Order: sequence, then C-alpha cells, then structure tokens
Amino acid sequence: MNKTAVIYSFNTKNSAKVAEKVKDAFGKSEIDTLNAEELTEDQFLAYDNLILSVPTWFDGELPNYWDEFVPAIEDMNLKGKTFAIFGLGDQKGYPENFGDAIGIMTNILEKQGAKVIGETSTKGYTYENSRGVRNNKFVGLMLDAENQDDLTDERVKTWVKEIKKKFG
Amino acid sequence: MENTILEKKQKAEENQDIEINSEELEVKKKYSIKTTDKQTLEKWFRLMVLGRALDDRAPNYLKQAIGWSYHAPYAGHDGIQLAIGQVFNKDTDHLFPYYRDMMTALSAGLTPEEIIFNGISKDTDVAGGGRHMSNHFAKPEWNIHNVSSATGNHTLHAVGVGRAMKVYNHKGVSISSQGESSVSEGYVYEAINGASNEQLPVIFVFQDNGYGISVPKKDQTANRKVADNFTGLKNLRIIHTNGKDLFDSMNAMEEAKQWVIENQKPCIVHANCIRIHSHSNSDRHELYRDDYELNYVKEYDPLGKFRRLLTRYKRFTEEELQAIEAETKEIVKKAHRTALAAPDPDPESIYDFVLPPAYEPKKFKDGLPDGSGEKLKLVEALNQTLKEEFRKNPDTFIWGQDMANKDKGGIFNVSKGMQQEFGETRVFNGPIAEDYILGTANGMSRFDDKIRIVVEGAEFADYFWPAMEQFVELTHDYWRSKGQFSPNVVVRLASGGYIGGGLYHSQNIEGALTTFPGIRVVYPSYADDAAGLLRTAMRSQGPTIFMEPKSLYNSPIAAANVPEDFEVPFGKLRVRKEGKDLTIITYGNTTHMCINVAEKLEKEFPDYSIEVIDLRSLIPLDEEGIIESLKKTGKALIVHEDKVFGGFGGEVASMINEKAFEYLDGPVRRVGSTFTPVGFNRILEKAILPDEERIYKAAAELLQY
Repeated sequence: MNKTAVIYSFNTKNSAKVAEKVKDAFGKSEIDTLNAEELTEDQFLAYDNLILSVPTWFDGELPNYWDEFVPAIEDMNLKGKTFAIFGLGDQKGYPENFGDAIGIMTNILEKQGAKVIGETSTKGYTYENSRGVRNNKFVGLMLDAENQDDLTDERVKTWVKEIKKKFG
Repeated sequence: MENTILEKKQKAEENQDIEINSEELEVKKKYSIKTTDKQTLEKWFRLMVLGRALDDRAPNYLKQAIGWSYHAPYAGHDGIQLAIGQVFNKDTDHLFPYYRDMMTALSAGLTPEEIIFNGISKDTDVAGGGRHMSNHFAKPEWNIHNVSSATGNHTLHAVGVGRAMKVYNHKGVSISSQGESSVSEGYVYEAINGASNEQLPVIFVFQDNGYGISVPKKDQTANRKVADNFTGLKNLRIIHTNGKDLFDSMNAMEEAKQWVIENQKPCIVHANCIRIHSHSNSDRHELYRDDYELNYVKEYDPLGKFRRLLTRYKRFTEEELQAIEAETKEIVKKAHRTALAAPDPDPESIYDFVLPPAYEPKKFKDGLPDGSGEKLKLVEALNQTLKEEFRKNPDTFIWGQDMANKDKGGIFNVSKGMQQEFGETRVFNGPIAEDYILGTANGMSRFDDKIRIVVEGAEFADYFWPAMEQFVELTHDYWRSKGQFSPNVVVRLASGGYIGGGLYHSQNIEGALTTFPGIRVVYPSYADDAAGLLRTAMRSQGPTIFMEPKSLYNSPIAAANVPEDFEVPFGKLRVRKEGKDLTIITYGNTTHMCINVAEKLEKEFPDYSIEVIDLRSLIPLDEEGIIESLKKTGKALIVHEDKVFGGFGGEVASMINEKAFEYLDGPVRRVGSTFTPVGFNRILEKAILPDEERIYKAAAELLQY
C-alpha cells in the first residue's frame, strides 16, 4: 500500500480522539500522523493516501486550519491521490449544517483532481441539511460526539476497514 | 393535450419575473490571498489594524470618564464590515450602518479622528455633533446615514432610497447593515417584502454573531440562518458568506452589488460572524458564555486569520506587518490627541435644528384669503392643491393604502384622478403596512433634497400607531444629524369622529403626536385653510402631520372660496369671528360648532361678543395670536374634539397660565371628549364627543363668571 497519513488538528479534543481510533483501526505502524495546524504543502504532497479530519465549525464552515490551507490546495495537482475524510458534527445543535465541512473539503480536493473515497450511509442520523451528502450518502464518515458518541467506535472500525481496501 | 398544457405552463413561467434560486447562482471568486494585488492587501491590513486599535481603545474613554459610554465592539465582524465599506461608493451608493459598524465606517472612508469624535460626542462629530449616541457612526454628506438606535428600522429607509434610485434611473445601490437578531423586528420583514415586491436595488447585510445582547439566536427564529426565512420571497437573491473571512466577504459583497445593479432586484448577504467581546460595555458576556466558547471565538479572530494568511503565503514579511502595526499605533495616538482637543457641543445650541426651514408664503403672508377663487368643498380643495403642486413640481410623490385603482382615488377620494394624470411612478398604492409607508417616505427623501413626498399615513388616523416608530425617526432626523438631513414628508391623516365610525374610525391622535419635538402638526377646519396649509407643507423642508377632519370632507359648512395659489403660513392662527368678551380657541371639527355657539350666545346676550380663534397650526403654535386675543377678552375657552384629559388643549391652557395670566378675568375652561374611546353606536358617540350643547354651557358659564 502507498504511504498513508492521517491529518488532524492536535489542538482538538474530540477530533484528536477519533483520529487515534482511526489510527488504531488502520494499524498504527501503517499510518503517519500530521498536525493540521502546522501542515506544509510538501508534507501534504508526500502521501498518496490521506485521511483528513474535517469537523464542521459554526454554521457550516471549515475550521481555520483547513480554511487557511485551502489556497495552497488550490494550486496543487492532486491527480493520483486518494483521500478519505471524516468529520465531527452536532446533529441536534446544528441540524441545518450537519457535516457541511466534509462536503466543502471534498469539492475542493476533487476540483484539483483528487479521488475521494469512503462514502457512508446517512441511515441512523437525524438532521435537516448537509453539504456533506451526495447521492443520499455522506461523502465521508460523519461522527457525532455530542449525541451519538456510543456509535463512534463501531462506525470508525467499519469505515477504516472499507477505506483500507480502497486505498491503493 | 398533455403537451399543450406543458407548453402553456412553460410559457406562463417564462412570462413571469425570474424566480431566483440562490443555490444555482455561484459567487465569483474575485479575491483570494494569492490573487489580490499587494497594494490592496496592504490597504486592507492597515484598515483592519487601525479599526481594531480603535475598537480596543474605545472602552478606555469610558474608564477615564471622557465619554464613549456606549461602545459595541465589532471584533469578529472584521471581514464583512471591511467588505461593506470597500464596495460602498459615496458618489453612487447609500449606506445605512448599524451601531456595531465601526469597521464599516472606517472602510467606507471615515478618518480615525471622525470615529473618535463620534465616540466621545464632540461638536466636530460628522454624524451630528455629538447629538446622537456614541458608536453610531455616520457621515450624511457622503450618504452614510445617521441611523436610529431602534436597530434595523433603517431597512425601511434603505428601501426608500432604493425606490428613488429606480425612479430616477440612478446606477447605484442602497446598503443596509444590521445584526441578525434585529431581523426579528416586523419592520425588517416589511422592508424586505417591499424591496422584493417593488424590485429595488437594495443589499440587506445580516451580520450574524449568534447573539442579540445575551439572547442566543435560537430564541429569535427557528432557522439558524435567519436569511433562510426569506427564501420564499420572489425577486430576492440570498448569499451566505463567512463574515470572519475577508476574501469570502469581499467576494460576496462584490457579487451582491454587481447582481443588484444589473438585475435591479434586492439581495440579502448573510454573514456568519463571531462576537469576540461582550455586546457592549454594559454587558458581561462571561455570565452567559462558557470558557470554551470565549476561547474559541478568540482563536477565530478574523484579523489573526488575515495576518497569518499574509505571511503564510509570503505576501508580506513579518517585519513589514510589524512596521504597519507600529505606524498605526502612531496614527491612533495622533487621532486621540486631536479628538481630545476638539470642541464640545455648545449647550446653547440645543434649539438649533429642531425644525427645518418652512416655506414662507409669498402671496398670502398671513394666510388670509382675498375672497377670490371658486368655492370648494374641503375634499375638493385638497385634491386640487395636490394636483397643482404635482404639476408645478415633478419631484413630488404620493402613496398610501387604497391610494389609486382605476376610478378610485383614495378611500375618501382625496387623490382621485391623480394616478391618471401623474402616472403610477408618482402616485401609487402602498401595502397594508403603515410603518413601511412612512419609513420608505423618510428613506426616499434621503436620495435628494428636492424630493417632496405626501403619504396617507393610514386609512384612518386610528391606524397610524404601527407607524409610530417611524414617526419618531421623522421627528429626530433633522436634530440628530445637526441639520444635515430633513425628511421632506407630509403625512396626511383622516381624523376624528361624528361619522358613527367607532373605536378605529373616529379617534383623534394629535394629543399624542404633538408631544414630539421636530414635527409640524396642522389641523384645518375649512377648505381654504386646508389648501393653503397643504401647499405650504409640500413646499417646506421637514415633516408635517396634516390632520384632515374627515366628517367635513364633503360638508357644505367647511366649503370656502379658495384663491389661486392660496398659502397659509405655519404657526398663524385665524380669527374666524371677532369678539371682546370671550376667546374660544379651537381647531378642526369643533371650529364650526364654536362659531354657531358664539352666534347663538350673542343673539341671546346682545351685550356680549365672542371671538373664535381657529388655531390651524398646533405645532408651531401661534402663542402671540392667542395672547393678543386674551388681552382683549380676558377669558379663554379651549375646545377640541379630542379628549380633554391628555388633549392638546392642556398645553394651550398651560401656556395661557404661564404667559397670559395677568390678562385673565376667569379660569381657563376646556371642552372636549370624555376620557373614553369613541363608541360605535350613535347614542354612545353623542355621549362621548363634544357638541354645541356642551360648548354653549361652558361658554355661557365663563361669560357670566
């Protein structure tokens, strides 16, 4: 398998916790870890398989550490690279924008030629709107630490199993 | 068959106005950290650093007891506010900022000195010389309007300006800015509905920081993004943007402006912001926001983000940015010193700019007719005068409820035939929304001082109350802006009873309206005075409330010969009948009753003669004329249709008491309605409203006192 990394903000609590679970499920020795807060273009481009932690902030925005990296992505050629995205959201508190950020990031990456894998079913979630949904499926893995924390482990395990198969 | 139906449907849809689907329209990405030229980036950074330095410094003025007692910090709204100011062009656009819009004002061109002048309420404050509350930044000279603290009510003014832009084929945009919580106000819905219906070039910016003081937005409306409440309105585009991000905000505002001008339709820009600090210096946000929230809003500081982008993408070096920051500190220090040395307002100036200059009659200086002219009923005189003024002045407009539809011209026919003669652009119906009718009149008159507007404030004066908050604005504007803006609006109101109209078609409201400084209130009783006062009001600067005694519209007793171009000055009473033993001071419906009573008494008591004074103008009041009459008669009876308790007569009586006591030979008496609503049943109405019997009794008693 090509070189794989998971990227998340080391300043976060919930996202960092999930990232650890992803690494465990993936096999810690098979995956590198990068801090999204200090990410460089070179680091980003050094991997062919990338798992991004993209939580939804405010009423449907990327967190700053990703938003500030987007101008760099917009100049990259990401053909041949495969991404899988997971994100945290709050179905009850922000039902209008549940998982918007994974959709926003998917669009940005695909525009640069990247392949985004890891879509999941929307079954079991209750929300009103999401930019993270395409063809009735989430474009990545949605987790809800506020309302469905007990489902996180299982969701991560199932998802990682799937994306691992699809990574080149 | 099916095809035909489909074709018909398609054709019908094509013929309709475009329905805007916001999702389908993309915002062009004109600005980004990599593509924006360095000079522009530097300008923006300088503005953002300068704004924040002033925003952070503002509370110190209060701590040092210098001023700025109201400061609503903008930190967290930096992106959208800078963008609003940048797209605003003072030569073509109008801007209505709200009390948190310091960055908007700076970005639109106000200097740091001008910001501090306003903050510490100096005479040099360009918004209005320290008359309005601090943190209400404005520069009327540049069409950056001095707005109310009743937040969001300037949306109606922005719509009024938008209407003027459309009428005068002006290429520009009217921009209104407000917090998301104030969208809850009914008048905001009226404004956006009106802009959508009239298809006006207005941008409504909602700066959404999640709170109305301490109230979270979930307590305001069900949608988290209040702009989504408007998705059903036709002709309206909605753009969502990240108000914390300068580039997103610039792209959104540029797109909105271009689209609005090209399509001549309104647009909402909903900007997601954060409030880094408390609502204002009287609020303590730590009482309702936890540490986690207080921490992350600081992390998402828009200025911090912009600064990081500038260095990350190597547009500026750290040293370059530090140099700008150091220069800014000096600029702020200098502005501070200049502001402290600036003069304070002069307490003697409080009476300046209460009322704008009135038109001074040229032919009929005292407002007395010369016997010429055709005899007209009151309604005919109003209709004729409106038409004559509309013919003379192409910048006149009239609207209201039930104003014009084919042969109908107003509920009482006052505007009959006007739409046919002057067209639908100048004579048109308003929605059943009194606040909208009045607020957009105020707004439209901001576009050009030459514009003169007449509105039917409500179908009946009784329905005027929903417009009261706009009435208050009308009375404040001239004083608040230190004479820089006068709303040139005449508000016609069909008033009073004696028609069996009941509680909502018979009330007199001048007792309430005359308590507000900054507006003229007139109340004619005869056709000639109605014509003369209306002409004067329409030629004057500033607002006038024009009360029309509706029971006299078609009454022969109010008919009079109306000379050509008849004019009546404000504040000039008319002696309707001379006398030496008693002065009856009256106006409106009761003038006619008083004359009858006077004549009856004189017949019964030939030794007495009674003077009847028709005030015509309540504000300004002809105090001198009243006193002159009392010098002669020594006795005063004040009669009006409105309630005695709380009626305007109370002010007249007090004035007489203070200024003419030594001429009196008896107590000042008053006759008017009972302190009850006006009942519908004629028996009740008769028991409530004053009549000749009651006036006779009071007059006879006073004569014999």
